[in-house]
Amino acid sequence: MKKHLMLLTVVILILGSLAPALAQEATSLVIWADDTRAPILAEVGKAFTEEYGVEVVVQEMGFGDIRDGLKVAGPAGEGPDIIIGAHDWLGELVVNGLLAPIDLGDKAAEFFTPAVDAFTYDGVLYGMPYAMENLAFIYNPELVATPPTTWTEVKELSAEIQASGAAKYGYIIRTNDPYHWMPMFSAFGGYVFGRNEVGAYDPTDIGLDSEGALAAGAYLQSLVEEGLLVPDIDYDIEHTMFETGEAAMIVTGPWALPRIKASGVPYAVTMIPGEVQPASPFLGVQGFMISAFSQNQMLAEIFLLDYVANADVMQQIFDADPRPSAYLAVREAITDPDIAGFVAAGANGAAMPAIPEMASVWTAWGNAMELIIRQTESAEAALTNAAAQVRELLATDLSAMVNIPGSWQAAVGCASDWDPACKVTALTDNGDGTFSGTFNIPAGSYEFKAALGGSWGENYGVDGVRDGGNYSLVLEADSVVTFTYDSATHLVTVTIGE
Amino acid sequence: MSALSTNAGGPKGLPALISGQILKLIGLAILDAFGLLLFYAFWFSGNTALALIIAVITIGMNVVIFVPRLYPLRWMSPGLALMILLVIYPLLFTVSTAFTNYSDGHLFSKEQAIALHSKATFTPEDAPTYRFTPYVNKADPTDYALWLTREGDAGTEVIFAKEGEPLVVLEGVEPEPPEEYEGYRPLERRELVAALSVLETAQFGEEPNTVTVVSAARGVAARSLQRYVWNAELNGLEDRQTGLFYAADDETGSFIANKGRAEQQELQPGYWVGVGFNNFRRFVESPALRGPLVQVFVWTVAFAFFSVMTTFVAGLIMALVLNSPDIPGRKVIRSLLIIPYAIPGVISILVWKGMMNPNLGVLARSFGINPPWFSDPLWAKIGILLINLWLGYPYMMLICSGALQAIPTDIYEASSVDGANPWQRFWNITLPLLLVTVGPLLIASFTYNFNNFVVVEAFNKGGPPIPGTLTPAGYTDILISYTYRLAFGSGRGADYGLASAITIIIFAIVAGVTLLQFRFTGQWEEVSENV
Amino acid sequence: MSSRTESRMVVGGREKLLELTLRWVVIVIAVAFALFPVVWIFSAAFNPTGNLANQTLIPQGVDSLDELLTNFRGLLVEDVDIHPFWNWLGNSIFVASITSVLTVLVAALSAYAFSRFRFAGRRNLLVLVLLIQVFPNMLAMVALFLILQQIGKLSEYIPQALPFLEGINWSFFSLFGLNSLGGLILVYMGGAMGINTWLMKGFFDSVPRDIDESAQVDGASHWQTFWMLIFPLVRPILAVVAILSFIGTINEFVLARVMLRDKTTWTLMVGLYNYVSDNFARDWGKFAAGALISATPIVILYIALQDQIVGGLTQGAVKG
Repeated sequence: MKKHLMLLTVVILILGSLAPALAQEATSLVIWADDTRAPILAEVGKAFTEEYGVEVVVQEMGFGDIRDGLKVAGPAGEGPDIIIGAHDWLGELVVNGLLAPIDLGDKAAEFFTPAVDAFTYDGVLYGMPYAMENLAFIYNPELVATPPTTWTEVKELSAEIQASGAAKYGYIIRTNDPYHWMPMFSAFGGYVFGRNEVGAYDPTDIGLDSEGALAAGAYLQSLVEEGLLVPDIDYDIEHTMFETGEAAMIVTGPWALPRIKASGVPYAVTMIPGEVQPASPFLGVQGFMISAFSQNQMLAEIFLLDYVANADVMQQIFDADPRPSAYLAVREAITDPDIAGFVAAGANGAAMPAIPEMASVWTAWGNAMELIIRQTESAEAALTNAAAQVRELLATDLSAMVNIPGSWQAAVGCASDWDPACKVTALTDNGDGTFSGTFNIPAGSYEFKAALGGSWGENYGVDGVRDGGNYSLVLEADSVVTFTYDSATHLVTVTIGE
Repeated sequence: MSALSTNAGGPKGLPALISGQILKLIGLAILDAFGLLLFYAFWFSGNTALALIIAVITIGMNVVIFVPRLYPLRWMSPGLALMILLVIYPLLFTVSTAFTNYSDGHLFSKEQAIALHSKATFTPEDAPTYRFTPYVNKADPTDYALWLTREGDAGTEVIFAKEGEPLVVLEGVEPEPPEEYEGYRPLERRELVAALSVLETAQFGEEPNTVTVVSAARGVAARSLQRYVWNAELNGLEDRQTGLFYAADDETGSFIANKGRAEQQELQPGYWVGVGFNNFRRFVESPALRGPLVQVFVWTVAFAFFSVMTTFVAGLIMALVLNSPDIPGRKVIRSLLIIPYAIPGVISILVWKGMMNPNLGVLARSFGINPPWFSDPLWAKIGILLINLWLGYPYMMLICSGALQAIPTDIYEASSVDGANPWQRFWNITLPLLLVTVGPLLIASFTYNFNNFVVVEAFNKGGPPIPGTLTPAGYTDILISYTYRLAFGSGRGADYGLASAITIIIFAIVAGVTLLQFRFTGQWEEVSENV
Repeated sequence: MSSRTESRMVVGGREKLLELTLRWVVIVIAVAFALFPVVWIFSAAFNPTGNLANQTLIPQGVDSLDELLTNFRGLLVEDVDIHPFWNWLGNSIFVASITSVLTVLVAALSAYAFSRFRFAGRRNLLVLVLLIQVFPNMLAMVALFLILQQIGKLSEYIPQALPFLEGINWSFFSLFGLNSLGGLILVYMGGAMGINTWLMKGFFDSVPRDIDESAQVDGASHWQTFWMLIFPLVRPILAVVAILSFIGTINEFVLARVMLRDKTTWTLMVGLYNYVSDNFARDWGKFAAGALISATPIVILYIALQDQIVGGLTQGAVKG
């Protein structure tokens, strides 16, 4: 047996020696990029190595894997110096402390301002943008003489095309893909998150059931009811239908241009129709970011500012994957009418929210869209429920909440102490102007206050004084504690015991 | 057989035994030395957990070899060692995570988080910012200096800054960096890059008036101070820019300033801490439980059960059908039938989806088979089971055809003499004997499908959606897809602690079901003992 | 020969015919069911537009063989400079073969012990092995990443911890670290150990114990019994486990793409996945072409081992 084991060890050792050896660690720049950008960066890296003698290692990864990879490798100290990525990763990456700030200095003026803004999170710039993407309206000129400018026209046109038999469908949209619904959604006045005074997204203002959203839903519903739209359309189906002339109009992004061109179908790229207001598709911005765990942050900055932020490299990046450049010199030189169409369609776009709360929205919103298109539910019911689901997930509908935030909250199951929005410790309305709640609190000494509306905006301390001092509570043993808040006096009374 | 037995029964001499013992000891010594080496190296580098795992494995090997009673474990030791290192240890990692707040914003240990924040710098508001040109001492290539310029009220201010010497504004000097200054010459860009690691940390000037390179790329230098300074006594980070004190809250793993007041501020990222059973409590509190949990649970069990049933029955039938020597070309047929298993599931599922699509799919267009695969709850369930059948039957066929060979033919011979018909032979002999081998695997397959996240997500993301639910859920969602969606999309980013807790709860359910099923395998095993 | 037996033979002949017909019906249905989707994967592989939705068997608008082979040419010739396909295929086959051979050996040892020895806690250990295997280990990836990283770093740790060993080159540890095929093999072997042990144990159980008992009466040790008697008898399951582990390894990419960084160390699935990891512009054509190529070694292996698995019914007569 042991012989066998030794044999095994020897076998493993021999086999191991066949595997490629690991590169030696010297000062080098490690870049994670996807397969489109990687070859370009590798070339740039060669020039950099020639000039400075610093090795540049470009490691290729799937675009979406870069973010997850950084989360695993970064904290372990194995990560790259530079990554490419999308601006809507910022929320997640910054919260986790994985990114180092970048200062573009004078170079900032060479970039398209909205693109730079998209990479700004909490007032700090974390990326150097290279490209932007947004949806545009694409139609088949053989079926559509003049592109529609409102969604009402789109519907009329669809009905005409279908009636004439020129094509099976006029405008089609994917069944469960809110990203592609957003332009229509916004044209009717719908929105996802409202914005606060300084223009940042406000996760407490959810617009999935706003008046405009319901109007957009009703419009979508009418398309289905009138037989102009069918369910079970996804990316591939949508494009295949357009490319085979079965559908006349779609909304899609620059990534689809190569396949549309290859199909030989006549097409034109233009603005997305508006309705009560111009359509506002989500803008996505892609750029370079520097890892907070890089040992060579200044070097990485030199690489980006001196070697990448120039018209030549930016043009190569554009040529490899044509989509509106974030670099002005390249952006302004765009002659391709398709890309120009995307640039025009994105003029009224808004950066996709990078706040982590966005993750809660996609499924609920997409499900609502699918329920409408499948006619399972009315638009109003589906969207109202979707908004309720998001509020439930984000726990943002707290206007009526009375809470006792304090150092005791984590002990009873809140995610953190001093959280005025924690649902676990919210008090129940007794109906007589008082609110109360009973909790099992372990022994210890605690402090607390009363807070209304799930935030610190209105809070009361000792003696019912607004923004006053903390109450303190000392428990000799694990106890059952009842808090009662009186909305007239703003006083909190504590009863210990059953 | 007879040849084997003479071979095996050969007499063993005493010398052979002794040399066997010595070999054993030498081998063990090598193993122990290796284990000790790894243990010490891991321990030394602060990797206690891995060091302990190595220790457990090494000690375990010794015990197993020296205690005769544990002889059977000797056979298992390579497998067990691999499992301990690569399955059990990661599993303990997940389990322990369930008792922490490991999540977005809390991915680091406290030390890591403090180290990270300590790297941040700031420039005091009244401190000037300069453009710099780097210089190096011609006589001493490790002695650097900066030529600093700044637009002031009285024209351009120029300073030649050396390490440890006060910053003096030069009067009557052109701002243009000279070719040589006080024995220093300008660094070429190439040299600057090479010297970057030194320049990054060098302080030019004399405390408290020092200047540091802020950005080599942009040629900016300024007084630069460490922004967050750890105060071990007060257990918090001092923010020297704003004067705030971020107290480390070791219960929640956050750095919080002005705690409990309206101006409360948090410094992210925080760090992970143990939170006891909080995640389990939070799951109980979470909207997931008030959502369509029962519905999802019932479907999960049904999905796992039918997946196993259909794949097993189909696999068994094919194995039986092809077991007859009367079928010419059965090797080819078997090879064709194995192909679905050889193709990566990612693409197969998509191809199935494409075929089932009512708009363009071949089933609808060419064969007129057009049930509402994606919109009707029942048909969606049938669809996903059909795909899972396609994906899974080759596995069962492989195992069954192997298992069929293990059934001794003389049993059949005996029974056919007794006049049993093929059907009776199947029920009374083949199936029970087959289940000896395959039964436990059916349980394993059940548990695997219980958590078969991949198929559910790839097919229809759990759709079609159930209308009017409190939390987003679909008719084909299984427990794990439904709950993970909540753990990773709850607005605070990915919450691994909560997800791990959910994993453990689901595992408890699966384990319960599995143990229940084992009462049957007990019977199966007894069947085999009688063979 | 009496008339009674004769009539039975006739009936038997008719039954036989019926049975044979039935068998063929089942076979035809099964083969159609198995291969129908595969046809569309072929179609996608030959479709230059690289999408899966276009459900035309012969890609439209394709005039020449050249165009038909666009994906294969791209994968095998044009992209080879940036995407070393043959390298990936080699890595995949290397990892899969080593993993399956070692897995079979190690799991067979454990399975033999579980099947043949009766010891305290056997059943519990057995159940434990299975339960551990089915634990939905969500964070395993993070832990495995750290394990491989630390193994790779042993070449730095050992000289630091034990300076007198500095002279020895410890860099072979990095062959099992991150970004190494050796490390990946370790991970795969550990990961499937439980289920393979179970699989084999069931087979070992079905080999009658009087075989080894009689051998042991003849003076054979356990080791000899295992190696010379049981091992050859359970060839079918060894082959089954080898194939299952080979397939599982070739098609795995979730762990591999985290552990392997350099394009040259990628396995085929990691490389192919790269073609379809984009949000929208996914090149399914090349993926399909690559998937078909990667299925080839699997099918070849299966054909090669088929005789072991179903090596004629005489194999079952073990009581020689």
